[in-house]
Amino acid sequence: MENLDAARLQMAFTLIFHIVFACVGMVMPFFMVISHYKWLKTRDYNYLILTKSWQKGVAIFFVTGAVSGTALSFELGLLWPEFMKHAGPIIGMPFSLEGAAFFVEAIALGFYLYGWNKIPEKFHWFTGIIVGGSGVLSGILVVSANAWMNAPSGFDYINGEFINIDPVKALLNPAWCTQALHMTLAAFTATGFAVAGIHALQIGKGKKVELHKKAFKIAITFGAIAALLQPISGDLSAKDIAKRQPVKLAAMEAHYDTGKGVPLYIGGIVNSKTQKVKYKIEIPKALSFLAFGDFNAEVKGLNDFPKEDRPNVPVVHYAFQIMVGIGSILMFVGILFFFTNWKRKQWFSSKFFWWLFVGMAPMGFIALEAGWIVTEVGRQPWIIHQVMRTKDAVTPVPGIIVSFYIYVIVYTLLTIAVTWLMGRQIKVLNETTK
Amino acid sequence: MIYVVLLFLGISLLLYVLMAGADFGAGIVELFSSKENQAITKKTIYRVIGPVWEANHIWIIIMVVILWVGFPVFYNVIMVSLHIPLAIMLLGITLRGVAFVFRHYDAYQDWSQNVYNWMFRISSLITPIFLGICFGALLSEKISIYNRGVIADFTTLYVVSWFNGFSILVGLFFASLCAFLSSVLLIGEASQEYAKVYIKKASIATVVVVIIGFITLSYGFYIDNLFVNLFTESMFAKIPVVISALLLFPLWKSIKKGRRIFSRFYAGVQVLLILLAAIVPLFPNLILTTSEPISILENNAPDSVIQVLGISLIIGGTIIIPGLIHLLKSFKLIKILERN
Repeated sequence: MENLDAARLQMAFTLIFHIVFACVGMVMPFFMVISHYKWLKTRDYNYLILTKSWQKGVAIFFVTGAVSGTALSFELGLLWPEFMKHAGPIIGMPFSLEGAAFFVEAIALGFYLYGWNKIPEKFHWFTGIIVGGSGVLSGILVVSANAWMNAPSGFDYINGEFINIDPVKALLNPAWCTQALHMTLAAFTATGFAVAGIHALQIGKGKKVELHKKAFKIAITFGAIAALLQPISGDLSAKDIAKRQPVKLAAMEAHYDTGKGVPLYIGGIVNSKTQKVKYKIEIPKALSFLAFGDFNAEVKGLNDFPKEDRPNVPVVHYAFQIMVGIGSILMFVGILFFFTNWKRKQWFSSKFFWWLFVGMAPMGFIALEAGWIVTEVGRQPWIIHQVMRTKDAVTPVPGIIVSFYIYVIVYTLLTIAVTWLMGRQIKVLNETTK
Repeated sequence: MIYVVLLFLGISLLLYVLMAGADFGAGIVELFSSKENQAITKKTIYRVIGPVWEANHIWIIIMVVILWVGFPVFYNVIMVSLHIPLAIMLLGITLRGVAFVFRHYDAYQDWSQNVYNWMFRISSLITPIFLGICFGALLSEKISIYNRGVIADFTTLYVVSWFNGFSILVGLFFASLCAFLSSVLLIGEASQEYAKVYIKKASIATVVVVIIGFITLSYGFYIDNLFVNLFTESMFAKIPVVISALLLFPLWKSIKKGRRIFSRFYAGVQVLLILLAAIVPLFPNLILTTSEPISILENNAPDSVIQVLGISLIIGGTIIIPGLIHLLKSFKLIKILERN
């Protein structure tokens, strides 16, 4: 395997891993403080038990996210030294602000985890809010750095030199808003459905139903609201990509030939040699409308771009289909929850209802990872869109494949360990008595 | 503004060495303890560094970010030449962090504790050794600069750069320094009878630090290392080292009298002096290579970037530092109250 491929695989693998932990670490504190709030208001012990058990989850996920994030901050340089040499000064601002936000989060978490019965009750609760708030803030900031790779700005690129650097303009790059919104909602959707699914499983098994129902409701409310808002944000993103990265949009839709009134393909199998998509569902003129808000707008096809500037079409297309497909399912399941809560309370006693949510547990994260594959693979062969190619950024150190295998082994073991630990947390939660 | 940025870089380095150092050292102390003491050390460590260890480790991220934003060429050399030890150090940080949290948050206390304990102890030793190796490598004159197009073999570029006697000695020196810091910290936190255990550890660590430090310098002198030559010639190095050695007397006095604030202060000042002694004679040429040294003041980012970086660091610092002090204070206060 070539060094470039090994480096890309390692980066992808560590990011896929880190994103899960980072999302849970930034969203779960919100569930925790809601439960904590309810404990302070109602003094119902179920809420206290739940808060303390979620707090352990937050601690485990936070630390795994933090150490894998530390590893990533080094990996950027270890794997892509040429990229960092030029881009580092330009995108330093989101990273330094993210560092600050993360620092605040770590300090607040120190107060929260160790503050029970030691610091004033309300202040203690408030530190939980800071944990969540600064977590989301650092997520939003770090997305800015990624958005900059899609929409490079804040510098002039002349004769291979980056000059007139304006870090503030780079921070406020045009892709930031849509990407950050999409990612934040995705984090809430994925974590909400995952946590709700885990508690639904306990309800389905008939364990501590009262407690787990409370947990389920908190988590699913966040998840379902985010899932309902996500299509709006997705639409904004699509329009943005159509304007700035037409080749990415074309790859997402496996759209080869430029035309007007272009149909939208749902699913299908892409043959990149014959440039045909088989077994798809075709919606006439829909792509033109979704991309530009006009049924007859012209959408550029992949063939308008030189071969060496195109990403891997099947990967991007399939990932995009998975993301949108699952996103839609989650939205409907979210509506189902609100409907049940509002008009059909009797469905809460149906086993089918709970097993449906158990099935949804991993879905949000699958969609989220697929979404990142769309944006990252869709940007290739560029590491900085139309400025620097990924192959020019990679480290000269040979044998990256070895470190890739080590990361695969270590992170796989960590994933197994964290899953197993969560299982034990739930087991002990079910054994706890008031 | 560049000096503001350098000041923050220096402060981050100092705080990382002090706080994360004490944190690594705790694992090393635990590793070299009898079984009974290990259990007690584990509890003490959890109480003392539990609330703050995550914050401690963010200093290295701040350092890395400052380096890549402000000093990209400098950063590039480190990341390429020291790829292997940095990667090992990262694995160590990862395993250590998760082991620390797993062993306290696992819902059941069973056989798994053993796995976490050993993971924590061993990675606590390996991580600072490799971090020290990276520090040493920068001063070892063994780093060859990679040039695209110029053919050089893998060993010279990526192995000899850090796998050499001097760097390894610095690695061992750093690990023993961590153990020293940590035992000084733990003395103040343990109960009367266990404080004795840590006093013994601290005295062993002191001896080890002095011996390894001496061997490192002699070896550097023997191989005619530029850093050691400058170090032995410069007054800026000699004076801090002498003061640092003299500080051992008030340090031990305050340890024996149980003045924990003073003993920590002296230990901290000693580390600061050692860092100053290592950096000042070289400054600004902080990477010594096989050819020309690399200056941290040359090839830095454009002024506009340094301006913004400096301002964000000042703003970030004013938010973070009071919070951090408050965190440290809160839990210290609580502990004193608990004991009464």
